[in-house]
Amino acid sequence: MGKDIREDIAWAQINKDVLKSLESPRRMYWVILFIAIAMIGVAVGSEVYQYQTGMGVSNKNNSHVWGLYIATFIFWIGMSHSGTLLSAILHLMHADWRKPIYRFAEAMTTFSLMTAGLFVLVHLGRLWMVYYVMPYPNERWVWPNFQSPLVWDMFAIATYLSSSVLFLYVGMIPDLAICRDNIHAGWRKKLYTVMSLGWEGTDRQWRNFRITYLTIACFLIPLAVSVHSIVASDFAMSNMPGWHVTSFPPYFVAGALYSGCAAIITLFIILRYVFKFEEYMTLPIMKKLVRLTFAIAMVWTYLNLIEFASVWYGHDQTAKDQLIFKATGPYAPFFWAMIFFGSILPLMLAFKRFQTHLPILFIVSILLNVGMWLERWMIIAPSFAHGHYPWTWDHDQWPSLVQWGIVFGSFGWFTLLFMVFCKVFPSVSMYEVKEMVYHRSLALKHKPAVKGDY
Amino acid sequence: MIENSFNRRGFLKVLGWGGATVALSGCGNTSVEDGKEFVTSYVQTADYIIPSIGTYFNSTCAQCDAGCGIMGRVREGRVLKLEGNPKSSINNGKMCGLGQAGVQAHYNPDRIREPLLRNGDKGEAITWEKALGLINEKVGGVKAENIAFLTGGVSGHVKALLKNYLDALGSGHHYVYEAVAPSIMRAANKKAYGIEMPRLRLDKAKVIVSFGADFLGAWISPVHFSQQYARFRKADNGERGVLVQVESKMTLTGANADRWLAIRPGTEGILALGLINALAAAGLSVPGDVAAVVKEYTTDRVSKDTGVSTEHIGRLAALLKERSPSLVIAGSAAEGYAHGSQNATAIALLNQVLGNVGKTVEAPSSVPFPQMAPATGNRLALQSLNDNVAQDKVKVLFTYGVNPVFTAPASMKLKENLKKVPFKVVFAHYMDETALEADLVLPLNSALEDWATAMPEYVAEGAQLNIQQPLMEKLYPGTLGMGDILLALLKQRRPDEYKGYEDFYSYLRSAMVSNKGALGGLATDDDTFWDATLSHGVVKLAGTPVNMSGSPSAKGLVVPGPFAEDSAYPFHLIPAVSASLRDGRNANEPWLQESPDPLTTIVWDSWVEMHPKTAAKLGIVEGDIVEVASRSGAIKAQAYVFTGIHPDVISVPLGNGHEALGRYAKGIGVNAFKILDSVFDKETGELAMHETRVKVSKAGQRVVIVKDEGPAGGNQMGRKIAVRMSSNKVNLSGEV
Amino acid sequence: MSITNLLENWSDFRQQHPSDERPHREYKWAMSIDLDSCTGCNACSVACYAENNLPVVGKEKFAHGHSHHWIRIERYWDNDGREFADQGAQFLPMLCQHCESAPCETVCPVGATNHTADGLNSQVYNRCVGSRYCNANCPYKARYFNWYDYPTTDNVWPEPMNQQLNPDVTVRGKGVMEKCTFCVQRLTVAKSNARSAGRSVLDGEVQTACQQVCPTGAISFGNLVDPLAKVGKQWMTQQVELNKDKQAKDAEEKAVKLRGYRILEELRTYPSVMYLEQLRESAI
Repeated sequence: MGKDIREDIAWAQINKDVLKSLESPRRMYWVILFIAIAMIGVAVGSEVYQYQTGMGVSNKNNSHVWGLYIATFIFWIGMSHSGTLLSAILHLMHADWRKPIYRFAEAMTTFSLMTAGLFVLVHLGRLWMVYYVMPYPNERWVWPNFQSPLVWDMFAIATYLSSSVLFLYVGMIPDLAICRDNIHAGWRKKLYTVMSLGWEGTDRQWRNFRITYLTIACFLIPLAVSVHSIVASDFAMSNMPGWHVTSFPPYFVAGALYSGCAAIITLFIILRYVFKFEEYMTLPIMKKLVRLTFAIAMVWTYLNLIEFASVWYGHDQTAKDQLIFKATGPYAPFFWAMIFFGSILPLMLAFKRFQTHLPILFIVSILLNVGMWLERWMIIAPSFAHGHYPWTWDHDQWPSLVQWGIVFGSFGWFTLLFMVFCKVFPSVSMYEVKEMVYHRSLALKHKPAVKGDY
Repeated sequence: MIENSFNRRGFLKVLGWGGATVALSGCGNTSVEDGKEFVTSYVQTADYIIPSIGTYFNSTCAQCDAGCGIMGRVREGRVLKLEGNPKSSINNGKMCGLGQAGVQAHYNPDRIREPLLRNGDKGEAITWEKALGLINEKVGGVKAENIAFLTGGVSGHVKALLKNYLDALGSGHHYVYEAVAPSIMRAANKKAYGIEMPRLRLDKAKVIVSFGADFLGAWISPVHFSQQYARFRKADNGERGVLVQVESKMTLTGANADRWLAIRPGTEGILALGLINALAAAGLSVPGDVAAVVKEYTTDRVSKDTGVSTEHIGRLAALLKERSPSLVIAGSAAEGYAHGSQNATAIALLNQVLGNVGKTVEAPSSVPFPQMAPATGNRLALQSLNDNVAQDKVKVLFTYGVNPVFTAPASMKLKENLKKVPFKVVFAHYMDETALEADLVLPLNSALEDWATAMPEYVAEGAQLNIQQPLMEKLYPGTLGMGDILLALLKQRRPDEYKGYEDFYSYLRSAMVSNKGALGGLATDDDTFWDATLSHGVVKLAGTPVNMSGSPSAKGLVVPGPFAEDSAYPFHLIPAVSASLRDGRNANEPWLQESPDPLTTIVWDSWVEMHPKTAAKLGIVEGDIVEVASRSGAIKAQAYVFTGIHPDVISVPLGNGHEALGRYAKGIGVNAFKILDSVFDKETGELAMHETRVKVSKAGQRVVIVKDEGPAGGNQMGRKIAVRMSSNKVNLSGEV
Repeated sequence: MSITNLLENWSDFRQQHPSDERPHREYKWAMSIDLDSCTGCNACSVACYAENNLPVVGKEKFAHGHSHHWIRIERYWDNDGREFADQGAQFLPMLCQHCESAPCETVCPVGATNHTADGLNSQVYNRCVGSRYCNANCPYKARYFNWYDYPTTDNVWPEPMNQQLNPDVTVRGKGVMEKCTFCVQRLTVAKSNARSAGRSVLDGEVQTACQQVCPTGAISFGNLVDPLAKVGKQWMTQQVELNKDKQAKDAEEKAVKLRGYRILEELRTYPSVMYLEQLRESAI
């Protein structure tokens, strides 16, 4: 087992390596950016068509009132969780290995929330009336329905998004100052100057910074758990068979962490390759990340089995019918694919030889997320297809290209945001990597002959 | 509802001044969207017209021939909805879905708006003056016997005027054609009871055995029978009537039966005779000659011939013996064969033997004005017209109220033969298949904007004259009422007699008022009588019950054995008459197209029904496009598999498959009329509707059937949704 | 509703199970449907189209499950593997059950679907944002969404068919949820007339469109609070209590049974529609 990071990297080298990632993009960057924008174009076109014509073009119907939009909404909300896990939880636990990778994970959190939020809008039949869900004072004193989980959702997501943005930004201030100091002119200079809020690295600034950062981290953890629990309440609070399950909130949180970790692995590999961050995004860190992912995968599997088992033992024949339907009906291939990608495939991650094999990890991490996306879809579609009322069952309604187009475009939107972020802001936290190198060298000084993991 | 004391005519005049623009301008009295503004003055309106509050006017439903009384809700000069007229003894304020859709016949966007004269392949708009002049010229140019009128069932003053016009022309060729009519049953009833249409008292019966009579769906007067059915099921004393339906293809009535017996097609008469035999064996007194005839119909033999189990025959006979009075009805399923008359006679005999005549089969009332009595139609009329056309005996043909080009079997070659008629006039609301063949198309007012009277064939109590009055101003200035057209034509022929009538309204009013004594208005002055008549919508006529004659006799009754197997055409085709589409004239009313068929829940299409056994044998699954081929033609439609049909039978609903009739009907489904074989009932000469034999084969494609039913089909999957229990477990008399 | 009002009277605004402590004072609209009288003829459904401006969506949209029939006739078979459906079909008119504890009401984010004082489950079209959560939570799937903008869709209400539209009922645009209203436009008129006359609405004074048309009179509708109302008497004789999720009569096995039941009552929705079981003769 190697070291998480080399202790002899010069601080100037760290600055240089990271700042290099902000320099003028290569041609491939523009190509991918263009593809991302084209994907967004598809989504915008689909949405305009749907907005003009009516929700019917999405091939939803009176049985399948929700479709890919809500499934993908949960998926993106889920994605946002591991940013919080890596930056906030591991920060509180003083896990040093998170330091080189938390910045982009946090960015991912913010951007996936921004993507998820769009799905709420796209989903609404009367998008132009969306402000009705907000409790704004009005002359008729009409309030939203505070009993509705959707209103909780609105609050939870809005709070989570603003907190994540704040957390990302606050954590970036020392780095923004480094950027400011290394650039001499242009819009970037102005941007970094404004955004670094006059950071000079004084003692008082660092002290205040630490307290602020810690406070937000503490605040963010319960928030992250609650957000996905509330999203789970959308389902658990309803009376749809298959949704009306008490274990849904932890199940959703576990699923969220799971898909987030898998996404971090994917982005880790991409950034390491593209920005040549081998020195910072090292294989030992990857190994820890993979082990974490494996553990969460097993938690998720366990909760999944609990859900099945509780349906199985329960007296609710309707829910039982629905579980059997998922496993044997027209959705069976997707259901079993979900089980395979979500529970069987991650078993690979238990083997050391795969834990650092980047090409395999890259593919597996994407497949894990496919599994997690299927999980969300398997919550939505088969439940609507096979609910309480047999007369209105509908096993034939599949999402139209309009729905797929918007889902497809959401990945473009996320990619665009992320790529712009990588070129404008340092995607590796310079000051924390320096801290890590420093810790490492201190440790070496005090315990010179330690072998193996730090 | 406005009871009386208003002047209908005055109301229309008000509309004419103030409201006509409203009626024509679209929705509402102000329309700013397209830059126009109409300001309606209500200053001069009658005091019962309150803007924004609906006023009800009584009239008569023209959607089928049952003649239900309707009450139109009129607001701001537009008719919005039809309700049942509680004063009509036929429907007592109730309606069916077909009747509700009457407003869609009226507001249909595909109505013809002006007279059209054929010019090559196109219709050229002409004036009424020119059109009527042309008719005068054409009928003047041919011999009277070469003029023919083909109509549906007509009654009332229009019928009287039509007869007068035919008399004025010197010709008596009036063919009354109904594509779907119980004409064989009428003949059998005439023979058995001395009257064609006895009054059936479902509500008095304790057991009803219906041989394919869909009295809850499409048979004679379904709304009336449905009301009786409700009392039959839940009598005041709490006794619940038992309905047994015997048929080869389940009808809506069959779906409501306590026992639905799938019978081998055509063997209904055998079962009826078998039941008489079983009843005689159980001690019911049966006249000697009947007993002699039925004695060979032992339960075992009948069961073998009909496919109905001996157990069910025994229980049915026991039930009929035990619970009296009962009622046995012969419906279209029993009478649709070459031996249909024999079947219907055997069934009538069963009724007589059971002693139901006079109890549940009652005498109808005589009609005081025979010239207005309904002319009921049959399919034989079309056959004779067709023969005459083929022999070039028809030079001028008028068609009104029927669409024979659509409803005639292809084997009749009616469409081809019609080309031989030099001048064809069609009175129509829409460009239907027959209107497309016409030389002159005359657009009619809709039933909701026209004056007429109607006398239905089946009246619940006494005799009754229904009033049909305009519920709103005409939508299109270019349409005319049938009465107005006939009056105009009569003025050409008999100007002296008719010149005093400005229009059909004045003719009708004077005809009614001059007979007010017989119409129940003896003591009132003319205006009061007329206003009361219009406000009631129906006029009760004094009629006396006619005598029912006939005693049970099996003289000359021979019921043939079951059909022989036909290996080339192994299945019987049952063209099913649905409650909403009937013979297809209403297929352009979208509410009806979107209203799911009660049994299959299919919408907007035709289908081929078959039993799962049949489907398995042919390798067909639901949604397969199958070809149904008879000796006379073939149609292709989607297969629907269910257990409400005999395995020897294939059923296709009638009504769809239009090649014209506007946007909602054209190109929807297939027309099963087309493939009917030319087989006729031996006694009456009627086309035997159920006699066609077909073969069925897969045509290759498969579609997803558009229906309301989901993938669970009719299965409740163990959930307590629609619950059923045995009737001996409840005490209905204790219910409210 | 001011904030103080909201906070002080929170328990009144909250959705609660119906209970005897909070009875309906003046009106509680309810229905009963006799399945032994219902013949499945579809007249009620067509009457509803006429009264409530329901769009005819056409074959293609119907195929996609976009139909609007606030009252639909379901047809069930009970063959148990027999060769023929020899006891006929079971028809069930399904409409919004106007649940007293309606699952749709609690989940609507904007409160577009509410319970009215006279026991209706109301739908405020203007307030609806189209989240469709109400439909997702409706166990009866009796809610219908406007998947398209039917007033502007070809051949839904082409000139002059739009003249048939009932001015008393909103023509809904795209993106809002709709469902059976118990013909609230008729109820409002009847209530207002009765108020002018200084009395409450009499039994039979107001009919829903489906009830009015039904040829066999299978549908009764009225005010459950009114002791003279037929519907109340029916509920009473059938021993179906509005505020119970388990009926006492179901607990015991009796020789003579009562036919009244409510669909999916065990979900504790407290529906306002009682059905009477279909009957079949055992002697044949």
